[in-house]
Amino acid sequence: MSTIVGTALTQRFGADVALDAVDLVVDAGEHLAVLGENGAGKTTLLRIVATAARPTSGTLQIFGLDAMVERRRLRGRIGFVAHAPGLYPALSAAENLAFFCTLQGVDRARVAQVLDLVGLADIARRPAGKLSRGAQQRLAIGRAVLHEPQLLVLDEPDASLDSDGPDLLMKVMRGRTAIIATHDHALANRLCKRTLELRRGRVVGVPTRLRVVH
Amino acid sequence: MRSITIALAVARKDLASEWRTREIVPALAQFVVLALVIANFGFQFDSRNAPAIAPGVLWMALVFAGLVAFGRAFAAEREQASLEAMLMTPAMPAAIFAGKALAAGLLLVICEAVLLPALALFFAVPLTFDEVSAVLLATVGMAVLGCLFAAMVAQVRARELLLPLLTLPLWIPFVVVGGQAVQSAMGGGGTATGSANGLLLDLDILFVVLTSLAARFVLDD
Repeated sequence: MSTIVGTALTQRFGADVALDAVDLVVDAGEHLAVLGENGAGKTTLLRIVATAARPTSGTLQIFGLDAMVERRRLRGRIGFVAHAPGLYPALSAAENLAFFCTLQGVDRARVAQVLDLVGLADIARRPAGKLSRGAQQRLAIGRAVLHEPQLLVLDEPDASLDSDGPDLLMKVMRGRTAIIATHDHALANRLCKRTLELRRGRVVGVPTRLRVVH
Repeated sequence: MRSITIALAVARKDLASEWRTREIVPALAQFVVLALVIANFGFQFDSRNAPAIAPGVLWMALVFAGLVAFGRAFAAEREQASLEAMLMTPAMPAAIFAGKALAAGLLLVICEAVLLPALALFFAVPLTFDEVSAVLLATVGMAVLGCLFAAMVAQVRARELLLPLLTLPLWIPFVVVGGQAVQSAMGGGGTATGSANGLLLDLDILFVVLTSLAARFVLDD
């Protein structure tokens, strides 16, 4: 069964076409890497899949639900790591996660588990604003899996992560459907069985490990 | 019940952030005291006309302090890209909005705790329960309206200009009715404070309901 079925997803910003009739199918438990240069449309596609943005046209079904209509319901099943970590700098790492536990309706006991998972248990009380960029990214990844989502949408999550980053990403993606945008082809091959390459908003090329996407 | 829990969590988070950074309250407190000092020198007042002048000064200071407090409520979220993270949860946008308005309103109440005694001191007017209740009632309505428009303009480049343009016209009823209530409480005549406070309560209920309904459309897209 497919977790994501997108048809002719198009996003226009005025006269600019950021995404041009992209079809997308991701099966349950599958990991898909979205590749492309800056401005190729990776972030736009991921934001649509994460329900953070609405496409100008096209249809999108996630878990069999219409993503344009059932956004709030779907958000409890999706974990999203955006470009910016979006943390509260004055709150500690643990407080950031505890706050999102309340928003997600998750028990606060989960905070310690997630801090352990992302390797921030030792600096849990440090304000998020004083963490290194890599640690902030780890915290953002932790926040995305706080509610045990079935689908993970990761927009360049490897940015600022240290050499252990790919291992962390493998850990959080295990057992979940995941779609990840990255510039790093080696990382894409390590984490995903399929890749989708975008150029100027269109699907191009078929990397060797690609099955059928467009 | 879950909406209340979320609203309180959002408000607690905002107040904790403000407590640690002390970004808004000290600046606002200084601003309201400076406004009183300037008004003290600018107006020729005596014991007879002070109850007529002081309410005007009070509401001018409150309106401008409110614009700053409510403007920051959403601008900071947009700057640190954290509003989207909140909206990417199943939490109701109305609950998130209520929490933001509650925190911003409480920050303004802290400024009022500085402003009202300072006003009584500078203008030699009485500080009464009726006056305080009128200001607190007006703060509720001003907070929900101010936060709604702050959320609307947070992503716009000219938000500092747009926020007053959108907010001030809708704050006029609070300033007019609140001004009368405060003037009456200070012994300057005008509408009875009780009926003015009743009208402020009605306005609060109206705008709390309207802004809660509008919050979903403002925040979610």
